[in-house]
Amino acid sequence: MSALEIRAAVRRGGFDLDLDLSLGRGVTGVFGPSGAGKSTLLHAIAGLLPAEQMRVTLDGELLVEGARGQGPPAHERGVGLVFQDHRLFPHLTVERNLRFGASADRGVEFEEVVDLLELRDLLQRLPRGCSGGQRQRVAIGRALLAGPRLLLLDEPLSSLDRGLKRQVMPFLRRVHERFELPTLMVSHDLSDLLALSDELLLIEGGRAAGQGDLRTITTDQSAVELLAGSGLSFSLPGRMLRRDESGLGWVTLELREGRAAPEVACAQVAAEEGDDVEVILGPAEIVLAVPPLDARLSLTNRLEGTVERVTRTTARCLVHVDCGLVAPVLAEVTERAVERLKLEPGTPVVALFKAQASRARALGSSRAPSAGHSGQPR
Amino acid sequence: MIAALLALTPAEWETLWLSVQVSLLATAAVAGPGLALGWLLARREFPGKLLLDTLVHLPLVLTPVVVGYLLLLAFGRSGVFAPLLDALGVEVAFTTLGAVLAAAVVALPLVVRSVRTAVELVDPGLEDAAAVLGAGPFRRFRTVTLPLAAPGVVAGLMLGFARSLGEFGATITLAGSIAGETRTLPLAIYQGTQAPGGDGAALRLTLVSVLLSGAALLASELVVRRLRRGSGEGQT
Repeated sequence: MSALEIRAAVRRGGFDLDLDLSLGRGVTGVFGPSGAGKSTLLHAIAGLLPAEQMRVTLDGELLVEGARGQGPPAHERGVGLVFQDHRLFPHLTVERNLRFGASADRGVEFEEVVDLLELRDLLQRLPRGCSGGQRQRVAIGRALLAGPRLLLLDEPLSSLDRGLKRQVMPFLRRVHERFELPTLMVSHDLSDLLALSDELLLIEGGRAAGQGDLRTITTDQSAVELLAGSGLSFSLPGRMLRRDESGLGWVTLELREGRAAPEVACAQVAAEEGDDVEVILGPAEIVLAVPPLDARLSLTNRLEGTVERVTRTTARCLVHVDCGLVAPVLAEVTERAVERLKLEPGTPVVALFKAQASRARALGSSRAPSAGHSGQPR
Repeated sequence: MIAALLALTPAEWETLWLSVQVSLLATAAVAGPGLALGWLLARREFPGKLLLDTLVHLPLVLTPVVVGYLLLLAFGRSGVFAPLLDALGVEVAFTTLGAVLAAAVVALPLVVRSVRTAVELVDPGLEDAAAVLGAGPFRRFRTVTLPLAAPGVVAGLMLGFARSLGEFGATITLAGSIAGETRTLPLAIYQGTQAPGGDGAALRLTLVSVLLSGAALLASELVVRRLRRGSGEGQT
């Protein structure tokens, strides 16, 4: 699984970054508080910051090696970096920006990238004539066309408002599906990362504080400390059934095996009937109850299951509930609730949540926005 | 003023042409070093940077006569570099080449200052972006830094050209005032004011100087505006 190995030591002023990572081939979401060293890591890998030590291998093949501030210069590293502030060349058209790093022998087709990122209509514009979301798409395309072996995304969404973010995210997913480039994506927005990454890497104070998919990482006490309070969310895959008169979207959740698939209602839905969707929930929104349940309860979203694990931190407890779904349901409860309900692995519970607390959105690239929706130049 | 131009004598035309030639050559000569030094001072930290900075800017604060005399000590017939110049068969003192050298040395700091400021205004983040896209230092300079700094660079070169055109003290010290060889406009004007009956010539050449310098400034302003539009300035 560990296709990408990174050994990085960077010293900057009083800050000390020291990481020894074994990552997968997919998208690794790098999360941590500001000043944790996330961007420093990316810039040092790309060769824009000197590193005490830097060694990156991909499937055993050496990509970058350097020590004591020496190493191959940035332009020889074959590493793609997309900056937070897009950094398009203001004096060049979108097309010339895209072609800046492109070379014929890198195996990435100009036309393909233009189509994938829906940049055709922008080619002759200058960057200042493009909207924020469009600029960021051009920046992603430009990085891809240079044919990198490793793609680094430094807060690619943070300069965009929510609406634009939603327009760019499907493109990032498409890029990964098409090019299967090992990717490190830094963000301070956990929900962005959870939506786009295969696994998470948590960094705090220049050290790795946890690594793994959401299921694994939320069983780690220190990781939970870091994640909780940062908008931790989890998603349950399913299929959009219908939308009722009141506007609620009904979703059947995907099961591992057997049992009748539960239906849940979601208040905010960005999907059409029949779409594969994910239902996104926050652990703080989940109520746990021990059956039998009083029938006179307004909550209709009920998922029956058993407690898989209880992770205690200083402030809260994160309970993993196995409801037979492909992913566990995470519930954040107080220590007192854990004791009162005697929650421990094996305890049968019902996880309850309001339709208002959940949203569903279409998965993957099947429903990417068209370029026409990308807004006006800002 | 047109009438004044038309009334120039053949000798005065020669003076005008010589001045333009000397200034153009001096500007061309400082363009390369000016770009290199301006970029170096804007973008690099190295030991002796302050010393280099001071040295480059010295002609700006020294009286040109001193600059000319220092050049004479270096490049004169018995100067420090005389053996080298003899070996190359090159003569500097009291030649057109000397006038070009004097003009170039006083123009250099103006070009360096402009280039330096212009390069400093280019976001280094764009150079980083170019590097990550595989562009080496020279390509980064040529395709990103230089086009974005172009308005400042052009303004600097125009300033250098105008300064060369007006150069007097260093020229007369190093190259003298030899008609047709080193007697540029300012020298000819001075000559006119000193010689009996030379007032007419002095006035005509003064008008020519004003016209030429004004035209250079105007041209520079137009080019800079054009470049600014092209380089995406005013981007949000």
